[in-house]
Amino acid sequence: MTSLLAASARGLTKSFGRGDTLVHALRGVDLDLPAGRFTAIMGPSGSGKSTLMHCLAGLDQPTTGSVQVAGQALEGMDDDALTRFRRDHVGFVFQAFNLLPMLSAEQNIWLPTELSGLAARDRGRQLQQRFAGIVETLGLTARLGHRPAELSGGQQQRVAIARALLSAPAIVFADEPTGNLDSASSAEVLSLLRQSVRELGQTVVMVTHETEAARYADDVVVLADGQVTERREVAA
Amino acid sequence: MRTVLLASLRTHTRRYGAALLAVVIGSAFIVVTAALSSSMREGLTAGLGQPYDGADAVVDSPSAADAARLLDAARTDGADAWLIGWTMQQVASGTAGETSVIDTDIGQLPDRPDRRWQELVEGRFPGGPGEAVVDSNTAKVERIGVGDRLRIGTGSDALDVAVVGLVDSPSTYAYASVYLLWPELVRWQDQLFVTSLAWAGPDAGTAIRAVVPDADVVAVDAFVQDLHQQVNNGVDIVQVVVLLFGAIALVVGILVINNTFTILFAQRMRDFALLRCVGATRRQVLRSVRLESLALGVLAAVLGVLAGLGAGHGLVALVRSQWPEARLGTAHVAPAWLAGAAGVAVVVTVVAAWLPTRRAVRVSPLAALRPDDSTRVRTRSGRIRLALGGLAVGVGVLALAAAVATANVGALAVGGTAVFVGVLLFGPVLVPALIRAAGPLTQRLLGPAGRLAAGNAVRNPRRTAATTASLLVGVTLTTAVLAGMASSRAALAADMDEQHPIDLAVTGTGPLPAETLDRLEAIDGVAAAVPVPGAVARIGDLDPLPLLPATVDGDAKVLYGDLPVPGPDQVLVPWDLVGDGLEVGDLVPVTVGDTTRELRVAGGEGWGEAALVRRTTLDRLAPGAPTQAVWLRAAEDADPEDLAGSVEAVAAPVDAGVENGLARRAYVDTQLDVLTGGVVGLLAIAVVIALVGIGNTLGLSVLERGREHALLRALGLTRRQVRRMLAAEAVLLSVVATVLGTVLGVAFAWTAVRALVQPAVHGAGLVLPWGQLALVVTISALAGLLAAVLPSRRAARITPAAGLSLD
Repeated sequence: MTSLLAASARGLTKSFGRGDTLVHALRGVDLDLPAGRFTAIMGPSGSGKSTLMHCLAGLDQPTTGSVQVAGQALEGMDDDALTRFRRDHVGFVFQAFNLLPMLSAEQNIWLPTELSGLAARDRGRQLQQRFAGIVETLGLTARLGHRPAELSGGQQQRVAIARALLSAPAIVFADEPTGNLDSASSAEVLSLLRQSVRELGQTVVMVTHETEAARYADDVVVLADGQVTERREVAA
Repeated sequence: MRTVLLASLRTHTRRYGAALLAVVIGSAFIVVTAALSSSMREGLTAGLGQPYDGADAVVDSPSAADAARLLDAARTDGADAWLIGWTMQQVASGTAGETSVIDTDIGQLPDRPDRRWQELVEGRFPGGPGEAVVDSNTAKVERIGVGDRLRIGTGSDALDVAVVGLVDSPSTYAYASVYLLWPELVRWQDQLFVTSLAWAGPDAGTAIRAVVPDADVVAVDAFVQDLHQQVNNGVDIVQVVVLLFGAIALVVGILVINNTFTILFAQRMRDFALLRCVGATRRQVLRSVRLESLALGVLAAVLGVLAGLGAGHGLVALVRSQWPEARLGTAHVAPAWLAGAAGVAVVVTVVAAWLPTRRAVRVSPLAALRPDDSTRVRTRSGRIRLALGGLAVGVGVLALAAAVATANVGALAVGGTAVFVGVLLFGPVLVPALIRAAGPLTQRLLGPAGRLAAGNAVRNPRRTAATTASLLVGVTLTTAVLAGMASSRAALAADMDEQHPIDLAVTGTGPLPAETLDRLEAIDGVAAAVPVPGAVARIGDLDPLPLLPATVDGDAKVLYGDLPVPGPDQVLVPWDLVGDGLEVGDLVPVTVGDTTRELRVAGGEGWGEAALVRRTTLDRLAPGAPTQAVWLRAAEDADPEDLAGSVEAVAAPVDAGVENGLARRAYVDTQLDVLTGGVVGLLAIAVVIALVGIGNTLGLSVLERGREHALLRALGLTRRQVRRMLAAEAVLLSVVATVLGTVLGVAFAWTAVRALVQPAVHGAGLVLPWGQLALVVTISALAGLLAAVLPSRRAARITPAAGLSLD
């Protein structure tokens, strides 16, 4: 396994609060996430997996340690730089409240590329093609004009995946993407994530506490009490 | 339930802040009004009876001639009499270099020292002719001191006096700026307005009726009591008018509070549902939220009354120390007022919260626990609302049409209110449609942040409509007042042109020296000067009077309108000389030198102390007449007082009178400005409350959309873009409300002008003050930005990671 690294972390710690309420969410995490693979970060509630993801995705600053994503070091970036970095290199799928309620499905999918100005430059050509391909693959063609409130939970997550994939980011983070879904929809969403890794060569990192969900991944990283306790490959 | 009530009060009080502010402003306004009117009342009624001390009877409103006869009679009878009254005269003070001229009131100083109600503060009382005392406040404002010389009046009546003392007046009612002894004041007898005459002497009633049989003789006590009554009624009217604006502000406050409760309860729907699920009855929940609104109302009442007391007393103290000429007394707010203001605050809050609380508990427990799908518009109640709105607009338009047809003020008010209510009911459809129409513009200006803003602004049509409604009220009224005033001003301008065709008319008592014209032309602020030929004539039994032609070469340069043109055998005599032996229609001999013509008398005014005849008539009476008068046109930006002072300085040495049309014009302009400014200033309170409301709605929406903003930040919206998005939303809301309000306001003004001004002034039309209207829109856009400052800072501060874990 000598592929390129999509992201790596060294000596990552993160603490919240102070004094009596001080909580160490991460206690020195070293992690390499290879490109083109589907990695699941697992662990029970409070193990620090969400905090790890936030630090890796540039959503939060670690207390100490360094993070590199797509060859760029995140420490020292100010808020605007981090925002631009996320816009250009990272895709997100969250557990819930993934979509903006006042925008249609199609508008939600285009949102990040519009924020980065990519859509305006490119919309007529590759991006439009890519959009059509993704929408087709995810089976959203008939739903593009709908508002989030008019979509089922599974459909909402598919829109979120389409949004994350559209700009071909260096890495896609999925935070409990199946947490609110029934088992049929869960299977569908997880298959789609795996499909994007297999067919589009995407790097996907998923945070989950469901062992069932982790079975779709290539690699599993287990976190407990703010530290990596296990790292294994899933047998295909 | 008490634990729940207390806990939710603790948790949510901060979110009620803006609603609280709206009620506090409204109730404080009421207390300030009470403080100001009480101080005004105190100032006006203090010492009201003092000028009548020592009198045995008072003659109510005698004519000036009767008053003069009574004063003379008193002196011969061995009784004593003095009058309370004024004549408005021009008073010039200062040196020849820098003369200042004011139009002010001249009153009488009683002859006998013990009858003098004026209180001497500096110098002494006049001992004889050529001396005067000046009110100490007037002296301060006009920088007049003891020893200065004043020239009172113009032309042949002008009087030069020395200031020998400064006095205070115990009574605002009897107060004048300058006091003269009767022998000096008598020269303006025919321009004197007498409110009352005090008589001291035995058997007063009989003595007075012996001189003036139909005199209205009143006992002193009864008269003073009557005065008190009049003054109080006047203050009461002012108070009612001002409170009307307080009521408008409170209506806007109701809209703001109602909206706040609606939003807060929508956000707490899950809490309520949970309470219901764990066993609270609907009634218990209802009681809890109503008590919450009551607590808020009581807090607002206390804060409002305290703020009002502080602001009211502070304002009165400030005015008393900075502008003593305003003559305010001490403020004393009656407990009834405080109770009233507090009661209004509580009632307004509870009423505003009533509907939202009912809506809050109507939802079934399980429905509320399901995920939110907030944007439904086409409900049954929505359709009823639209139908009512249509009905209101229909009825209103009919009433307005009736108002235009019959010039009926009542129909105008009813129609205007109905149309406005109709528009408010249409709000949830109308306002979002307007915002959508403006959306592409914000998108072009701000890119994706602008589009998100437009989307956010219309996502909850009810809320959007309620937020803009409060601003709509204030802006509609403001623009209606501005457009109405501009139209009235234009209508009055034609009237002013006729009444005061000349800015300044300098009329000599003899031929004017040649250099007078040059010196007048050279004055800074004189735009044009036209010499007018003429001659001094004897008209009937009048004192010699200059005779001027009605038309002069080049008079178009100075005249606003045409002067009235006398017939070939007519002479126009100033109105104040008509009467007393010379009546309109009389045929009188008019003599210049040794030429005499019989001319018929007509009245007129606006050209100064002179009679007007046809050019040909003058040529026949005085061929080749020299320059008798100079008519001046002031420059647009000239200061009326400075200019009049400079002109007076040139005119006085050659014994010429100055007719000051410019000052009258400026006076009317100032009156309209003050009226417009006052009304707009009072409406500003409603507008401020409305803007607090916009900031409030936005702030609560920001709390509601915490997760959404976090998502946007994660997806690549920078902090600045978040701030811009919220600012754009606020500006969209305020500008759409303002534009809609301006359109409505202008429409109302148009209707009012058609209904009220056109019947009175022929050819009056709607005049739009474009600059002022543009200013209203600009200010409200800026205020919208300001309202967004706090919410957008709070929204941008949150980090994406923290926001995503919000619930």
